[in-house]
Amino acid sequence: MEYARMKFYCDEARCIECDGCSIACAEAHELPVGISRRKVVTINEGIPGKEFSTSIACMHCTDAPCEQVCPVDCFYIREDGIVLHDKDKCIGCGYCLYACPFGAPQFPRDGAFGAKGAMDKCTMCAGGPLETNSKEERHLYGQNRIAEGKVPVCAAMCATKALLVGDAESISNIYRARVSARGKGANSPYGWDRAYTK
Amino acid sequence: MRKFFYFFVATACLASVAFAADSQIWGEMRIPNILSYGQEQSLKLGALFTMLQNHYFGKIFLAILVLVPLVFFVHYKVIGPKVFSHEGKKVYAFDMFNRVVHQIAAISFIVIVPTGFVIVFGDFFGGGTFVRLCKNLHGIFTIPFAIVVIPMFVMWVKDMFLHWDDIKWLMIVGGYLSKVKNPVPAGKFNAGQKTWYWLATLGGVLMIVTGAMMYFLDFKIEMLNNITGLSQIDLLRVSAILHNVVGFAVVALFFVHIYMSIFAIKGAIHSILTGYKEEEEVKILHSSWYRKLKEQGKV
Ligand code: HEM
Ligand code: SF4
Ligand code: SF4
Repeated sequence: MEYARMKFYCDEARCIECDGCSIACAEAHELPVGISRRKVVTINEGIPGKEFSTSIACMHCTDAPCEQVCPVDCFYIREDGIVLHDKDKCIGCGYCLYACPFGAPQFPRDGAFGAKGAMDKCTMCAGGPLETNSKEERHLYGQNRIAEGKVPVCAAMCATKALLVGDAESISNIYRARVSARGKGANSPYGWDRAYTK
Repeated sequence: MRKFFYFFVATACLASVAFAADSQIWGEMRIPNILSYGQEQSLKLGALFTMLQNHYFGKIFLAILVLVPLVFFVHYKVIGPKVFSHEGKKVYAFDMFNRVVHQIAAISFIVIVPTGFVIVFGDFFGGGTFVRLCKNLHGIFTIPFAIVVIPMFVMWVKDMFLHWDDIKWLMIVGGYLSKVKNPVPAGKFNAGQKTWYWLATLGGVLMIVTGAMMYFLDFKIEMLNNITGLSQIDLLRVSAILHNVVGFAVVALFFVHIYMSIFAIKGAIHSILTGYKEEEEVKILHSSWYRKLKEQGKV
């Protein structure tokens, strides 16, 4: 059976830069200070007509570059396209960050001598390789809402429903309906899920 | 005491806030790095690094790890080592300072190089605790090397410039292709040793700098960004690429260095422990230096 690929999309015509998604994420997963898996950014700031805000996190790339460069091969891509990694294997080398087109991987300084600890990034609320919904999984990766059939917390709480998550096809249908209703497209190309192709 | 403690805690908190507030990677600078937003500043080094690391770096390191020792194995079997008498007179070549500096550099390399390989082949070792330990050792043993690399550069630099002997030495590959003990044109250091010297010191500094960049990751040195015109993330990508590419040369010549000092010239390693080289070894392998020593009446 062909699985749908799960994707995020942030409709910047709707994003009001409230930062709710990023705060909800940090709270839900009890992230340490200094780590924000999701971030709201404003592009072309101060340029009239071109300025827009959008929410970014790991984009769960189709050809995930992070997975290609990891020296310990700790990434795994679920059948639904969610890109996850094993923190017990990760050595915190930083290679995934250098490869990532979106600056998603982050490193808490919890290793010996203040070295980079295991990498942390958005899991699309799908936890990690440990036993689903176990205390250990929650502690290392945060909530596993996908296993409970829930929507990732960022998209669930987005008041304007700018931030969408779901299988690529449904997302693109919603997006197309919105664009035709508004009569204009968006600034960031939809379908930027393939990391380095234009 | 207490006051001092609070002062320290407050400073540390402030410092960490400042650190987090103007992150060079996840802060304001994150946007210019996202190609999908049509940001032209980025040099697309992310894609380059991904391609190189995914397809080439590991394979090249593997090739070096297998082929260089293989060549030596064949050399050892076919031509064999140079054996010089350890019973004869000795020449004092390295003073205490030379030896200690070299020994510290040697110990650092003996840890840095194998741990570097463990990181490169981290998947083979299954990641986790062992590879993490190696990564930490790799970083820790950079410190002693960083301390001695400048003294090492300075103490030997006058002997390391190119000389006519070096060209002749290269033409006969240092005499290592035959077993006969003909005098080989070389001063105190031969062309091979000189090459290794320049690579280990200048390349070594480059390895320290690029390694330190990857270690500290999120820092701001405006001068560095201005001179190179690169954003922080691109500096890191350049560092990772250079660390690997220069690493190829460093490990290849490091293997050569080990083979020469331990196997190819039997007992050569003693000179860095005691300071003395065998007179016969100097006479043959460093004939120009031997002539000079003789003129000065030192042998
Ligand atoms: C003069 C020699 C070298 C020095 C001074 C040096 C130094 C460093 C330092 C300080 C780091 C950062 C460590 C960290 O992030 O915790 C690093 C990373 C790294 N080094 Fe080296 N290194 C040297 C040679 C090598 C060699 C020969 C290899 C490969 C065989 C290698 C492979 C790596 C790799 C793969 C990393 C990235 C992973 C990481 O950051 O831990 N290095 N190096
Ligand atoms: S490359 Fe970056 S955005 Fe893409 S899957 Fe990996 S971490 Fe996520
Ligand atoms: S930091 Fe961890 S996940 Fe990222 S490339 Fe290195 S080992 Fe892999």
